[in-house]
Amino acid sequence: MTSPFTAMLQTLSRQRGVTAALVVSEQDGIVIDSNLQIGQQGDRMAALAASLYRKARLSAKAAGLGAVSFLQLEAPNGRLCAVGAGELVLVVVAASAVNVGLVRVELLRAVVELAGLNAGRSA
Amino acid sequence: MITSVVESWIEGPLARFVDEAGVELALLLHPNGQVLAQHGFARAVDVMTACALAAGIHATSGELGRMVDDQPFRGLHHAGTARQIFVAEARSPRGAYIFLTVFGHESSIGLVRLYFDELVAGLAVAAPPEGPAPAPALAEHFERDLNRNLAVLFGRA
Repeated sequence: MTSPFTAMLQTLSRQRGVTAALVVSEQDGIVIDSNLQIGQQGDRMAALAASLYRKARLSAKAAGLGAVSFLQLEAPNGRLCAVGAGELVLVVVAASAVNVGLVRVELLRAVVELAGLNAGRSA
Repeated sequence: MITSVVESWIEGPLARFVDEAGVELALLLHPNGQVLAQHGFARAVDVMTACALAAGIHATSGELGRMVDDQPFRGLHHAGTARQIFVAEARSPRGAYIFLTVFGHESSIGLVRLYFDELVAGLAVAAPPEGPAPAPALAEHFERDLNRNLAVLFGRA
């Protein structure tokens, strides 16, 4: 089954080192669409990543830093990257050795694509 | 806010749920409406009311589920403007309980569902070995048992 996010998630997942890509509702922390590997817990990742992104966004706002454009979490066994697109959060889980620059470019490109999807729907 | 329980084995898993999920209110009760544990309630009368309503919601949604899907619905989520409610059945080795929680913008339904699953797993681990079967809930004892549990929760026992 395909969704408006399928192609975008496949593009993100094709990056070397990326193990999961998800579109998540920021407010609800629920997966809207995802591209996961067998054994990955999409619901868990979505709930926690959305919470993390939301708190980062609120922290940046409270500190007068403006909107969060890109969030990266580094852990011993990999990285989690997220960008916000309105009420949605795009989340990528990747290996430590991933090219973060490429992932960032693809995520920011996906945000523009999402904005286009939203504009198309509201038109 | 204080978490209080009628049976001590519930306290650990419930306190962890409240802490991790960031909810405002939590209530664990028997399907008959008898309270077992609460977090965040200030008055016994509010617990009593919430228990009665949660038991009613559980019974109603269970029957609706049986009508439309041949099996009871296991969970219910209502999203208000400022607060949200999640009601679900929590199965444990001691039987099935009803769990109700209220949360605001600090949490999300995704987090609540995630930590609810952990709460159920925690209750399964913490539940004491099965003792003698609990006495059936009789109408003539209901108010006495409810008042006893509320007294334990609110420090009047």
